[in-house]
Order: sequence, then structure tokens, then C-alpha cells
Amino acid sequence: MGAATVDLEYFERAKRGQFDLGWLRDTRSEWGVRAKPSKVGLTLRDIAVGSYGEVPDHPDRRTMAPRGSDVDPDVPDMGYSINDKAEVWSDNVMELYEEAVSRQWSATRDIPWSDLPELDPDLEHAMCQFATFLSEVEMIASDFPAKWLWRINHDFVEAKMFLCTQVMDEARHTEVFRKRALAGGGGLGKAKAVVENFLKLVLDAQSYDEGSALMHLLGEGLVLSVFRAGELLAPSPVEKKIFRLCMQDEARHVAYGTMHLRYRLERDPSLAEDFHSYLDKGEDIISVLFTTPEVVEPTAILAAGSVKGAEELGLAASDVLRTRVIEEYLTRCDRAGLPRRGRMRLPGAVLSGTTGGQGPVAVAS
Amino acid sequence: MSPAPLPDEFPSAGWLEGLASHAAEAPEVYQALGFANFRLAIEVVDPSGMPRRFGLVLDGYDVVSAGEIQDLSAFAPEALVTGALDAWREMLDNIAENGGADRAHTLNALTLADVPLRVTSDDPMGRDKFFRYAETLQTLFDATGRRQNVAA
Repeated sequence: MGAATVDLEYFERAKRGQFDLGWLRDTRSEWGVRAKPSKVGLTLRDIAVGSYGEVPDHPDRRTMAPRGSDVDPDVPDMGYSINDKAEVWSDNVMELYEEAVSRQWSATRDIPWSDLPELDPDLEHAMCQFATFLSEVEMIASDFPAKWLWRINHDFVEAKMFLCTQVMDEARHTEVFRKRALAGGGGLGKAKAVVENFLKLVLDAQSYDEGSALMHLLGEGLVLSVFRAGELLAPSPVEKKIFRLCMQDEARHVAYGTMHLRYRLERDPSLAEDFHSYLDKGEDIISVLFTTPEVVEPTAILAAGSVKGAEELGLAASDVLRTRVIEEYLTRCDRAGLPRRGRMRLPGAVLSGTTGGQGPVAVAS
Repeated sequence: MSPAPLPDEFPSAGWLEGLASHAAEAPEVYQALGFANFRLAIEVVDPSGMPRRFGLVLDGYDVVSAGEIQDLSAFAPEALVTGALDAWREMLDNIAENGGADRAHTLNALTLADVPLRVTSDDPMGRDKFFRYAETLQTLFDATGRRQNVAA
């Protein structure tokens, strides 16, 4: 990179009012574009007009220059390694970014913490263990996009911006579950190696493709179903609100991941087997969660209202969650163009009651 | 000040219009929750098995009633939530009784196991929108539940 030099002659000319004005007369970018706001304001979709709305499949440059600007020829190469649009794009990414910004919330302000009731100790323990697990897993969905953001070509800025909202969303989820564990007297519970192993698989992914499939589709799909179950099992309106607000955020991330994978596979169907192998690895670890007491038993206790009740109820509640997680995941895989029915390698006991062991079926939910 | 009761009984187009008009009367509540874009069909199945369908549209910060729907495909819902009249009635009675749904009567709780209500869609992305806008939908039903009239 050449050193910037101070142009003292220009400085003297400008002092005399002899401006250059080359930027005013000779800029090669589109003039006359007037983006019109839609009913919710001026959105990314509204400004995707003229040449500014054209996102190149393979950008020529690797700079932070705004797409559509007149870029100096000697700009430095930023070293981006993700330079194909299909590696990060999804057709819904602009809408998801706008929605994310519009639907932000505060774990400090928007949760009625002062209404948190004192729970039976069994329930408080169960809720705190559940919160520990969720506080642990949520930050990966900040760490993973943050790890890859700087490698993504700036011409895909809308996708980068969406991933920034995800980083913030997941930081807030980590925050809200940590706060819940500490707000009711129970504190944090156990953190299990099996959970960390899945998080490491995502963090160590060798490509954005691999990490996104594991995180957006598999991991966050699972957590979305867990949030749904959490909302049902929540012992008080405080946790109900937490789970509903988290659910909204998570559904956006899953919507991106599903439609991103679809976009990717539509442009290069030969990648399907790679994605299958990524998900094979992820499912192997995820399936262990269904037999991990620290994950299974808190939901059983919250559903039954006590340890004794849970012992009588057995796995009935967690079976609902297990089948829901697997079916919703399989349906999203279908939508992404990567049918997994018949491909899943999970033990029969884990797949029981689901269509995971069957061949492809018509998409329905 | 307590809101006035909805002018019509559930289920009816008038009831749904009352639901939508509540949102118009409290724009700050829905703006704080953020904008949404969702076409939801609400199906109420009477004891004889006859379904009646109603359309609800979340459009930006606005909530719009599409009235009773005769042609579901023309309304083009992204998701449909369906259940027996008794299940809907129980939910609304619970909301009225508690000033908002209790633990077992939120929209999510009632649909999680596909009984007594069920969310369906041809597109899982449409179904997931039911959860993407969960707080908006629950706020809408909770608030208007306090002013409902439910057919006996």
C-alpha cells in the first residue's frame, strides 16, 4: 500500500479559492436517482434502484468503497475471501435487515423483571439450568458471523448488515438468559461438553457454507423450536415474554439461513453433497443433546411443575419438543432444496415419531 | 380507561375489524414492537365441522382485517391457524378472564403440539412468520381480548 502524501500545493491553491472540483464534475456514478420511501420509511429495498440496486455476482474489487461509487483505481485490496454473491446472499436479506432493526428490544427495559415471582426451588433450578444452556449456545450465533464478516466482500453489504443485526440479537439472548439465571436466586447451572463440541464445530467451520448450514439451519432451527417450547413451559409471564421476543429474532436468522442455502444450491446444485456432509456431522452431535440430562430434564420439570411430576410424566414433554425440532428442521431443509428425510443418521429412538427415517415426502407443515 | 367492547361476536368479520381497529387506536404499541409483513388466515371450525375463515394482514405497523374469506387462495395467506370454535372460545375467555393469555393459552402454547390449534402453511417460511411476529400477534389478541364478545 502506497503512503498517502500531503499535497501542499493543493492546500495553497484551495486557500486562494482555487478548488479542484473534479469530484463534482467528473464522478462516474449514477446521477438522478431519487429513492422513494415506502410506508415504513426509506428501506434498503427502496434504495435498491438503478445501478445501485445491482449486486454483482462476482465483484471486480475487494474494497470497502460503497457499491455504485466511483472508486479510485489504486484503492487497496482488503483481502476479502468471500467474493461470490451466492456464498452469503439470500433473496430476503434486505427485508430481514430492516425487520431486525425495527424489532430490536432491550433485555434491560422490555422484560418486566420486577414481576419475576419466587418459584418452587425445583422449578427455579430447572429454569436456571435451561437459561444456562441457552446463554451458552446463543453467543455462537454472534461469534460465527463476527468471525466471517470481515472476509465478506463489501459489495454484499446488505448481507453483512443483516449479519451485524444477528450479532446484536444473539448478544441480547446471551444477556437475557444470563440475567434470568441470576434474577431468581438460582444462578447458573451446568455447562456440558457436548454443547461446547457443537459450538466448536460451528466456530471451526472451514467455510461460511459449512458454518452457516450448521448454525443458521441446524443450530438456530433447533433453538427456535426450543424457544417455542420455552414459551409454553415458562413458569411466569416474565419468561413467557423472554421466549417470545427471542423467538422472533431466531425466526429471522432461520429465515435467512434457509433462504440463503436455497439461493446457494440453486446456483450450484453440485454443492448439495457437501452440505449434506456438514449437516451429518452436526446432527451427530445435536442428537446427543436429546439424551443429555441437563438439556432434557429441565424441560420435563418445567412441563410437569415439579421433579416428582416429571418423574411421573417421563419424557412426554421432551418428546413433543424432540419431534417438533426434527420435523421443523426437516421441513426447512426441504424448503432450502436439501431434503434430509432418509438421510438422517440419528438413532432410531431419537427419530421415533418423526419422518426423519423416511424417504422424501411432499413439503407440508 | 377500559377499552369499549368489540361491537361484534367472535367469530365474525366485525369482530376481526374490531381487533384491527384496536391497533389503529394504539399505534405507539405496535410501532414499539416493530413493523411486520404477514398474511394470516384464521380458521374457526364449528361443531358440525364447517370451517369459517378470516384474513388478518400485518402491513408495516398497520393491522388490517381482510374480513371473512370465501376463497382462501385468493387471499393467499402465508400461514393459516386453525382450530375448533371451542378452542378459540377457550382462548378468548382466558384472555378476558386474565387480562391477557395465561401460561397455557398463548397462541404459541396452543399451537406448539398442533392441538388444540394448528399452524399450517405450504411454505415453512410462512409458518415461521407466525413466530417471527409472535409478540405482535399476542399483543393484538391480548389487548382486544379484554373487550371481546364471544358467541355463547
